[in-house]
Amino acid sequence: MRTPAPLLCALSLALRATVTATAGACKDLISQNKIVRVGQPFAWNCTYFPLTYGDVHVTWYRASSGTPLPRNISKRIHQEHTWMLILPLTDRDSGMYQCVITHSRSCHIIHVNLTVKKIYPCVGSRNRSLNFLYDYDQILHLGNSESLNCHMHFPDSCRVQSIRWYKDCEEIPSEQQKFIPWETKLFVHNVSAEDGGKYTCTARLVHPGNPGKRYVLVQSIRVDILESGRPGGKIPKIIYPRNNSIEVRPGSTLIVDCNITDTKENTNLRCWTVNNTMVDNYYSDSKRVQEGIETNISFQDHIFYTVNITFREVKMEDYGLPFICHAGVSAAYIMLRLPAPDVQAYLIGVFVALTVVVTLVLVIYSSFKVDIVLWYRSAFHSKETKEDGKLYDAYVLYPRPEEGSPCHRMDRLVLKLLPEVLERQCGYKLFILGRDGFPGQAVASVIDENVRLCRRLIFVLDPEPGSSSAALLQSLSEEQIAVYSALIRDGMEVILIELETVADYGALPQSIQYIRQKHGAVRWREDAMAQSPSAKTRFWKEVRYRMPPRRYPPASQSQSQRYTPSTCAAGKWQPTAGSLTH
Amino acid sequence: MSKELSMALPFYRHVSDLNQRVWVLQGQTLIMAPRKANTVPVIVGLYPCPHLETLEKDRGKPMYLGLQEPQCSLLCTKIGGQPVLQLNERTIRNLYHYPEPEKPFLFYHNEVGSTSTFESAAFLGWFIAADSTGQSPVVMTQEVGKTFVTEFVLTTLS
Repeated sequence: MRTPAPLLCALSLALRATVTATAGACKDLISQNKIVRVGQPFAWNCTYFPLTYGDVHVTWYRASSGTPLPRNISKRIHQEHTWMLILPLTDRDSGMYQCVITHSRSCHIIHVNLTVKKIYPCVGSRNRSLNFLYDYDQILHLGNSESLNCHMHFPDSCRVQSIRWYKDCEEIPSEQQKFIPWETKLFVHNVSAEDGGKYTCTARLVHPGNPGKRYVLVQSIRVDILESGRPGGKIPKIIYPRNNSIEVRPGSTLIVDCNITDTKENTNLRCWTVNNTMVDNYYSDSKRVQEGIETNISFQDHIFYTVNITFREVKMEDYGLPFICHAGVSAAYIMLRLPAPDVQAYLIGVFVALTVVVTLVLVIYSSFKVDIVLWYRSAFHSKETKEDGKLYDAYVLYPRPEEGSPCHRMDRLVLKLLPEVLERQCGYKLFILGRDGFPGQAVASVIDENVRLCRRLIFVLDPEPGSSSAALLQSLSEEQIAVYSALIRDGMEVILIELETVADYGALPQSIQYIRQKHGAVRWREDAMAQSPSAKTRFWKEVRYRMPPRRYPPASQSQSQRYTPSTCAAGKWQPTAGSLTH
Repeated sequence: MSKELSMALPFYRHVSDLNQRVWVLQGQTLIMAPRKANTVPVIVGLYPCPHLETLEKDRGKPMYLGLQEPQCSLLCTKIGGQPVLQLNERTIRNLYHYPEPEKPFLFYHNEVGSTSTFESAAFLGWFIAADSTGQSPVVMTQEVGKTFVTEFVLTTLS
């Protein structure tokens, strides 16, 4: 029977008006699109949390007809509890469906736009690569053992049987160790990159509305393999601190970084604590010690975190207290300690100061050695005479000029100036051969006897060419054996006085060179001594410096006396009356 | 009183379960749904609670959980005598910087192998959960290991 078109239109309008009247006061919740395959069993549960929880009334409508779906479970399209069931889908089922949720005081609508297509997985190679063919996207992680899921969401009245799995349209044999199907899942052991791709699961569905019929459900799943992005129980590693102490002065500012490496997957708290309290809370009033803003650098397989602790001003109470950096279950502390006194710097300072002082003293001493020694002798001289068995302070050895040859310089120095200064002004007692010897006594005998009684040997050298070189050598040759034996025997110190600059020391006898090298020499300039001789001039200071310290005062007493020769025979110097002898 | 703490940003994760479902937002409700090509999983932000001293030990890491978009936090509060999970407009950054631990917003994050559970700090024994099949809302349950899924997998954003 054919219904007249106007009547159908009128009926349709009337029905729409009914739906609209029913849903007119209802609030749209969501609108969802669903692409499904022809021939498949289809179920959609009308749930919307929390609206559909509790005492609600759910009614399914097909928008085109405006009538509620029948609740007769033997119908191909029907409502079962809150479910809409289509067993199976036909290409005429495309269109809008509405689920109206009514409560005692509210009404809501969920819109479902169903598109039924004749597309089957593993049928028609040209459609294989299109994404929309896949019902689900599922993910497996490399190296893990995980599972795929054949999502089947049907009312409890349905029974799902014999689920099968296909990879790239090839059925996966059930005896394979790699893949183990269990209930709706397919376990995949030790996921590798090759496990990605297209999977298909099929199942047979039995519904009490038509118990003899087996509805075949087919789902296609695109499986992506990702790097293992799951927490693997790896504990974070604190690189610094390492339970170490830090030397810091009180009052100073201190910033200490806590360096941590952790996996990207972990969700650990990183913080600084003291006395089991976050430092920010512990110092919440003063804010003297605070945690800094965390920074991080991402690497391929881990993240490097840095979170610092800042002491605005280190106080005594901070020393010896562990400040702990936490990263999840890992922890490491720092402890502050007072700086040790810098012994090394102190020692270096003392050493440098001592060196400077010693150097200064040495420089001063070397520059003013003569003056210092002379001053010391004059300041601390002893009144007592040291009994050393000596009669004379010095034996004056000089080249005696040949008979008749004038040698005024030598005579002037030896016979006049030396006695004048050393004896009269300074109180020394000299033995001058030619002045103090007894006439007729053998020279060698005199020397031998008297040198032993003297504390120093004054050796006057006159290197003036032509005048006395030969005489010097000649006269020395006469005396030198005795003199040298005395020197060697008694270890007597020698004062070498040069009358002039010696041009060529090599011309001098080796013995003289040796003496000069060992004891040095004092140079005398006649012109500089033109004035009245004084013990305070440089030359005489040098000579006095080399002379033994005087043990008795020469000054007023000696100077008031007229010089008189003395005898070396007496144990002690006594001015005696006598005449000057040559 | 607000103060600056060390983490400028929370940890961002996708949350899924062992049944190839992910957390998605349906209207104002967090649900678990099978992952499809056009599924947009929510990005969950996690801030560790910095108040270690005031919380229970050995239950896991106390965390504030929230969504990146829209910015909100997960709250476990009692309605009708039963703890329920809600989305709250307070941000987890605000909670993280709050000087006291905000227990209704805190969940003990306990990791076992590659899965995580989230136990309410305010209602111990109550876990974030979802019905084990199909598309189901994320709720609170104390029926661990029954029809509800309480084990979730956190994955870093690629």
